[in-house]
Amino acid sequence: MFGPFRITNVLNGGLLWKIPWRLSPTQKARQRKRLRAVDQVIEVVSNALAKKGETLKSLDRWKAEMPTEAEMLPRDKYTMFDRKAKRYRKGIHKLPKWTRVSQRVNPPGY
Amino acid sequence: MSYFRITLHRSAIGLPKRTRGVLAALGLHRRGQLVFKPVSAQFAGMIMKVKELVRVEEVDRPMTKWEVYESRKPPAGFVVEGVAARREPLGSKVLAKLEEEKAAAAAEEVRL
Repeated sequence: MFGPFRITNVLNGGLLWKIPWRLSPTQKARQRKRLRAVDQVIEVVSNALAKKGETLKSLDRWKAEMPTEAEMLPRDKYTMFDRKAKRYRKGIHKLPKWTRVSQRVNPPGY
Repeated sequence: MSYFRITLHRSAIGLPKRTRGVLAALGLHRRGQLVFKPVSAQFAGMIMKVKELVRVEEVDRPMTKWEVYESRKPPAGFVVEGVAARREPLGSKVLAKLEEEKAAAAAEEVRL
């Protein structure tokens, strides 16, 4: 039970990463901050282009499809759809590079 | 003419080649680097590709290299309120005294 040769998951199978099931409150706060930072970039770019009278397809699509941080539900901010997960949701921190990619919308109904 | 002031805030390590390519095309090679690009749909599209990595502002004119350098300097820690009077050149008092003596001597000559 104790000692150097005890059988644990790590010793038995080698690599074991423990990713917490949910985000901590500080992780959630930083996630909101990142979402707002992206909203800010979108706003600056769209204002600047509007002043020049130019349009941009990717910008228009983003504004039509993506909710802002304030409009998003907490569910979508901190979790995402996963067809294999119980109740079809997993923490957004399971997404690779989750702090540097946008993951805002999920399938309707889930 | 206005410009986008683009700062690379997050590194692109481990992100797709396309994303890193966009950053290279913007001239952003290291975190914290600052570039200025004219406001146009072309550059706006590039910013859209890397919107999670950069911070963007709209400015009237690009900063020069020197201005960027100056803006990055930490505060000196002191303020110069005024410049003290310069010291007189070495030996000026002696020379002034000699001049005075000469003038006095000349005056004596005239009196005699």
